Amino acid sequence: MGTIRIENHEIPFREGDNILKTALAAGMEIPYFCYHTALGSLGACRLCAVEITPKDPGKAPQVVMACLEPARGGIEVSISSAAAQQVRQKVIEFLMTNHPHDCPVCDEGGECHLQEMTVACGPPYRRYRGRKRTFTNQYLGPLVHHEMNRCITCYRCTRFYQDYALGDDLGAMRLRNEVYFGRFQDGPLASPFAGNLVEICPTGVFTDAVFRQHFARVWDLKTAPSICPHCSIGCNTLPGARDGMLRRVRNRFHPDLNRWFICDRGRYGHQYSEHPARPLTSRVDGAKVSYRQALAAAAEQIKAVGDKTGGLGSVREDLEGNTLLRALLNGFNGIFTAFSDPRLEAATITAVTALQNTTGAPSLAEMEQADAALIVGDLTAHAPMIDLALRQAYRSGARLAVLHSGPTPLARFAATALAIPPHEMSVCLSHLSERAAAPSAANSNQKEMLANIVVSLTASHRPLLIGVTETLSASQIAVLAQLAAALGPGARLAYALPGANAYGAALLSQTGRATAMLEAIETGHIQNLIVAGNDPLGDTRLGARWRAARQRLDSLIVLDCVATATAEAADILIPVAAWAERSGTFVNYEGRAQGFTHTFRRPEFLPSTAEVIADLARHLELVLPDIAAALGDTFPGYQAPVPGAPGSPLPAPAIPMHIDTTIHQGCESHPGRWQAALSTWYGDDPLASFAPALTELVPAVAALISPAAALNEGIKAGERVRLQGPAGTVVLPVQPDNDVAAGTIALTRAVLAQLGAGHGDPLELEKVS
Amino acid sequence: MKIAGQTNKRIASPLIRLWRSLWVTLRHAWAKRETVSYPEIKRSLPGRWRGRIVLTRDPDGEERCVACYLCSAVCPVDCIHLQARQQDDGRRYPETFRIDFSRCIFCGFCEEACPTLAIQLTPDFEMCERSHDSLVYEKEQLLIDGQGKHAGYNFYRHAGIAIFGKAIGEGTHDTPPVDHDTNLP
Ligand code: SF4
Ligand code: SF4
Ligand code: SF4
Ligand code: SF4
Ligand code: FES
Repeated sequence: MGTIRIENHEIPFREGDNILKTALAAGMEIPYFCYHTALGSLGACRLCAVEITPKDPGKAPQVVMACLEPARGGIEVSISSAAAQQVRQKVIEFLMTNHPHDCPVCDEGGECHLQEMTVACGPPYRRYRGRKRTFTNQYLGPLVHHEMNRCITCYRCTRFYQDYALGDDLGAMRLRNEVYFGRFQDGPLASPFAGNLVEICPTGVFTDAVFRQHFARVWDLKTAPSICPHCSIGCNTLPGARDGMLRRVRNRFHPDLNRWFICDRGRYGHQYSEHPARPLTSRVDGAKVSYRQALAAAAEQIKAVGDKTGGLGSVREDLEGNTLLRALLNGFNGIFTAFSDPRLEAATITAVTALQNTTGAPSLAEMEQADAALIVGDLTAHAPMIDLALRQAYRSGARLAVLHSGPTPLARFAATALAIPPHEMSVCLSHLSERAAAPSAANSNQKEMLANIVVSLTASHRPLLIGVTETLSASQIAVLAQLAAALGPGARLAYALPGANAYGAALLSQTGRATAMLEAIETGHIQNLIVAGNDPLGDTRLGARWRAARQRLDSLIVLDCVATATAEAADILIPVAAWAERSGTFVNYEGRAQGFTHTFRRPEFLPSTAEVIADLARHLELVLPDIAAALGDTFPGYQAPVPGAPGSPLPAPAIPMHIDTTIHQGCESHPGRWQAALSTWYGDDPLASFAPALTELVPAVAALISPAAALNEGIKAGERVRLQGPAGTVVLPVQPDNDVAAGTIALTRAVLAQLGAGHGDPLELEKVS
Repeated sequence: MKIAGQTNKRIASPLIRLWRSLWVTLRHAWAKRETVSYPEIKRSLPGRWRGRIVLTRDPDGEERCVACYLCSAVCPVDCIHLQARQQDDGRRYPETFRIDFSRCIFCGFCEEACPTLAIQLTPDFEMCERSHDSLVYEKEQLLIDGQGKHAGYNFYRHAGIAIFGKAIGEGTHDTPPVDHDTNLP
């Protein structure tokens, strides 16, 4: 810590910081292009020229690059000196010689760093009359549009894509003033974080290809602080809307979570709210009716069956909607849960309970500081930004260990990656946990690798354990928590939960409720089901059972903003506002409650789920507490988080629950020759699967099996196999994949739903001749 | 005497002024008329007159407007509304373009801001309507079949982006594109 004189102000600096960073932190503006807080300095653009005057009068002042010059006491820095200004002006003039002058048709215009810097420093007129160098563009997939002529060679794109996000299909080519940034060949960018190029590129080389279809200038967009609804991380976003239509989503800085970047699911998943099949008018028995009529019909149904009503909330429904639905159900002693699958219910509640018993899950910024990590499951698909955080940890030397059943991109960076069939995961985790408690000699290759994992976790100062809730059972989650406890107080524990508000939904649910509800429907004890934002009929594992149960219902009342299988089958469908059209709260994987506020309103009347339930209660003449009171009752001391603020921990009463960590040999033994494993990709969640640009990128559907298993069975790549599950059969081509565990068939969610099998369920496989 | 002289002057000068005014009036009574009896007779207005706004076409007959939103941004009364679309070849155009002439103050800022010389004010002010709604002009009413005041300019010949009939590197100031697949200097 010292002070440096910049423009005659004494500015404190941290040892090791450069002049640019110091000045920017103090709110003083030095023009720059290539410097980025997350990517550091490179000195490529030469725009950040400043003049420094050493204290020693014998030494002449000199012009230096502020981003490369360490801040130190005893020098005077002038941003406005004539020499520095001249350098900056020349730099801009040279950069502009090849500029294609297409700002009017450039989507960056209005928020372009190059425009701003040219206006701020550049000469007002162009003197160069020569011919311009040009580049052809590449097709980079449905998400990012490429226009290479606008490049100023700042290298931010490759530094982000390759160095930061560890992608390898975008780079710099050629030399001199002909450096080209693109792919080796045309084709979609492979990184789950490719969309960040749009924001990281200071010019219009990379622009948002989805926004481009309905382009509007930044000054015409309505924005409001929001939270990403697509996974449990709760990245902060800034949706932009115009003329009653959501146009784009950008990153919004959160100091502990996403900071400068978001994943592509968060950036492009918003298209679901513009999907042509989105329900926008209420329907009763297939006929379009007004909102009031739908409410009256729903109230009549509920009155008719009295207390035989159940309520199914959702992990993607906001805290307000879930809480009020539960309060409504409490009004007539109905069953409420937010989960359609009892396994997921138990797993999520166990994960939340386990987190409540620790110091809390680390933020993404803290995860980057980990020096060893154990990852159980595929984080890239279930919590993309944790993946990015762990890539940073890996870059700073952390040893990653990944236990997975199907493909996971993080395995590439892991010191130890073990493909373990779902039914052996429990044994492995218990083994890890036991070894951490009492080291013993290893007696097999796999055990040795597990032993190594324990050694590296024990030897590290900031070990981190992360489990993916959706592919773990409750007992496995508990064992992971035990392992964290055994590693000592320095160890941090986190779970990727199954939805944006899964944490909040778990606190409102109870283990066993999902089973109870299904059974009550099957036995006729529930005749009327209110579903808010959930899709039980499309459930991977229990979809068939739910569809059968649905036949027994008198009426199915659905509140949703996407056309799910359940919404299609509803007797009464009340469309609700999508997240950007309403205000609400999501509780993220850390238990951080974050508020979001509506960015815009659609021309159609679309209330939020909580508003629909309040209106329904009024029709039923039920006295329901208002939303603030209902939240206050459930979470004593609850303060609604302010949208735009970093969020606050949800004051939740501890869940009294006994965690059973005993491994039941019966159900954990090998279920047969083949087992299903869930293999998803980063663009997959119930909402984003309605986003056309993302679904264009869905990997080809195939049965992924390990090459050894394929050899054993005598199946070649591309040959077709018939898979038999509890609910149906599917014929698929086989694709050998090194990341798949032995005896495991990795399948997408849609295929699993057709088979009626969940992660870890037995399957039959037979070759189709 | 002094007092009498002053009185004379006091009377004389208003009289002179009176006669002079009368003379000017009489002279003008016989002079050539400037006033015409509009609307039977219409004066030709200077080309720079700021009246009804049109959207023009480039020399090739294509729409000049590239839907950059600059006119709508600069408009002080916010009376221009448009929505950008693009053709498959990458050419931008306004899907809708709407000017509310009941709000327009004919300041000409939009014309000044337009980078493609598309939007132009014309010497036509006869736009009376009986309702405000009919003063909202849609694109069909704005787009004309000519180049307007500025003949010869085609934005796409100067800008770097490719459109149908003009690949990258074929612009007026361009060199052929760099082959990025080779590393030879
Ligand atoms: S493409 Fe963009 S980010 Fe990459 S070097 Fe060029 S200007 Fe910089
Ligand atoms: S990591 Fe999750 S919360 Fe963050 S942007 Fe991606 S989908 Fe949204
Ligand atoms: S002339 Fe002025 S007021 Fe009228 S549309 Fe143009 S900018 Fe707007
Ligand atoms: S400024 Fe010109 S090119 Fe841009 S939208 Fe207006 S009329 Fe079209
Ligand atoms: S910011 Fe310093 S050289 Fe680019």
